[in-house]
Parts: sequence; structure tokens; C-alpha cells
Amino acid sequence: MTEPRLDSQELREFETQVAEAFNHGRIRAPVHLYDGNEDQILKVFQNVNEDDWIFCSWRSHYQCLLKGVPRDLVFAEILAGNSISLTFPKYRVYSSAIVGGVLPIATGVALGLKKQGKSEHVWCFVGDMTSETGIAHESIKYAETFDLPITFVVEDNNHSVVTNTRETWGLRTLTYELANESSKVIYYSYSSRYPHAGAGQRINF
Amino acid sequence: MDLVGLNQDSVFIGQAVGYPGTAMFNTLKNVPAEKRMEFPVAEELQLGVSLGLCLAGKNVVSIYPRWNFLLLAMNQLVNHVDKRAELFRASTKSRALIIRTSVGSERPLHPKSQHVGDFSYPVALMCPNVKVVKLENPSEIVHAYEEALRASDRAATILVEYGDFYNEK
Repeated sequence: MTEPRLDSQELREFETQVAEAFNHGRIRAPVHLYDGNEDQILKVFQNVNEDDWIFCSWRSHYQCLLKGVPRDLVFAEILAGNSISLTFPKYRVYSSAIVGGVLPIATGVALGLKKQGKSEHVWCFVGDMTSETGIAHESIKYAETFDLPITFVVEDNNHSVVTNTRETWGLRTLTYELANESSKVIYYSYSSRYPHAGAGQRINF
Repeated sequence: MDLVGLNQDSVFIGQAVGYPGTAMFNTLKNVPAEKRMEFPVAEELQLGVSLGLCLAGKNVVSIYPRWNFLLLAMNQLVNHVDKRAELFRASTKSRALIIRTSVGSERPLHPKSQHVGDFSYPVALMCPNVKVVKLENPSEIVHAYEEALRASDRAATILVEYGDFYNEK
């Protein structure tokens, strides 16, 4: 277990810095910002070890920072336009900007680790709409039945871009919302001050 | 298959790799059982898992009995396998991903249009970092696998077999 490298306030300050850079037209690519989930994600990272693997979607700044990627390096990659698919192999952080794209890949890494008898663990972060996709259900089912060393973290902000996940699936609760502690799934919900993409201002480049 | 099976870090994944009774199994029967991983019918999951196994250090042969079935894994193939160098950088460069597929035989029984698709050309266009190799002669097969195993400059290799050639060549 590693000590958190940043606290809630520092995480929020980083995203504020990115938001300001975006709103001033310094980033010529999409950014997807976190906000309001700092305590929950810090709690998850209390169990993440240095050798563990992290898989993310297009929203991954907090995971990069908490896995130990230097703040300046993360920011430089964001300025370079790589926010939606940040990858830092040295720190075992990988991302994909395709919905559900990383789930089977993360599952495959976990399968490989188990076959090799390694003690490393895989952490795969997904949003609420992604958690309802077929590939999510297949990946989680396979990981659970073969007891793979992986944890899926469902981060529920209740929206996919602007679409309400529960309404469009006709669900009162998400499939993994009531995941118990013995499951391979951790669930938490949060509300963000930021929109799905960007930082809330219309930019004229 | 024996050549790849001898590779210390190799694994074969797909349907009918673990159970006898099919032509596919017959080509794998000399591969050690611990290297054959029978997988559920879940095409996209299979290819994503295959890529993940490469990340974890395995040379992977991922088997799809028909091109038409491999189409169900296109998200992983186009958006992730082909973009492997960009998404995963050096971390998977040294591990080979071989996708084995085939065009169904038409003789003596024709399985109709959903089993005889050959998408080699359009997939090669869609995946510039994946090499698509059409195995039209038995003499090409060993060399193709040798090359696919050692190629570190490509995201993956798709080896396309032709069902009718099993009987005719």
C-alpha cells in the first residue's frame, strides 16, 4: 500500500489549473475533468500498490497523479493534447477514449498475472454508462468466475455526456450499484461542477 | 502451431482449442494443454483479453474460426490493437499478437454467405499497423508464424487460412 501523493485539495487544484489552461485556449484537444470525487478516489488508492496496473477511460488525471506520475509530466501531456488517452507505462497507467475499451484489456492483464503467479493487482476505472455495456458485463463476469486479480471501480456521475444512464436503460439502480464487498466491483457516486468535456466555457480558438 | 507452442511464453486462446473433435483442435493437439485456453464465445472480450495477455508478457495466438466472427471484435482490433504503440507505447512491443482466422470452405458443403467472408483487404486498410497475411500455400505457413512471432514493429499479425485448401493443397 502506498501513501497518497496528493490530498483532495491538491487534486482539485490540479483540475482547476487544467480548466484554466483549457479556458484560455492553451489546450487544443478535449479534456475531461474530475471534480467532487476526491475523497472516494483517494480511498480507492489506499489499496493500490506501486506495482499495480491502472486502466482508465478518457477521464484519468486523478489516477495518473495518485499512481505517482509527476504532476508536471501529467500537465505537459495534457497541454500536448493527450488528456483523453493518457498513458504512462513506467507507472503502469493506461487509458482509452473508447467506451468500454479498456475493460477486456485490463481483464487480460489480470489473467496473465494470475497465470504467472504474480501478486500485482489490476484496477479498472469505468463510468456509469460504461458499466452497463455488454463488454463490461462480460469482463466482470469473466473476472469474477475465474477470480482474477482485478477490481473494477464504477464512478457514477449519472451521465454519459448529457444522457441520463438510469433513464435510458430504464433502471432504478445500476447493475453494480449495490455491489458488495466480496465482489470485484467498487461503486461510488459523485457530482461534478464540470461538464462532460471542457471546463464550462465556450472557447474561440 | 508446434513452433509457436514451443515458445516459452506463448498461449493459444479461442474456441475449440482445448476440446477435441474439430479441425481447429487437430492443428493444436501437439501444443501443451497448459498453453491452450478455451474461451467463451465473446469475440471482443477475447481480443481485448489477448491484448492484455500481451501486456502481461505473453505471446498470444488468438483464434477466430471465421472472418465473419472476427468482425465482432472490430472495436478491439481497430481502436486498440492497431493503436497499440500509441496507447501502450513500449510496454507491449516485444510480445507478439497473432490472430488466426479463416475463410470457410465452400466444398463439399457451402455454409452460405455468413461463413465465407474474406475481409482481409478492408481490414488491412482500416488497420495500418496490423499485417494481414493470406496463407494461400502450405509452404508459407511456418515462415509466416516465425515472422509474426519475432516482428516487433507491428501491432499484430492476422494470419488468414482458407478452409478449402485444407482438402485441396
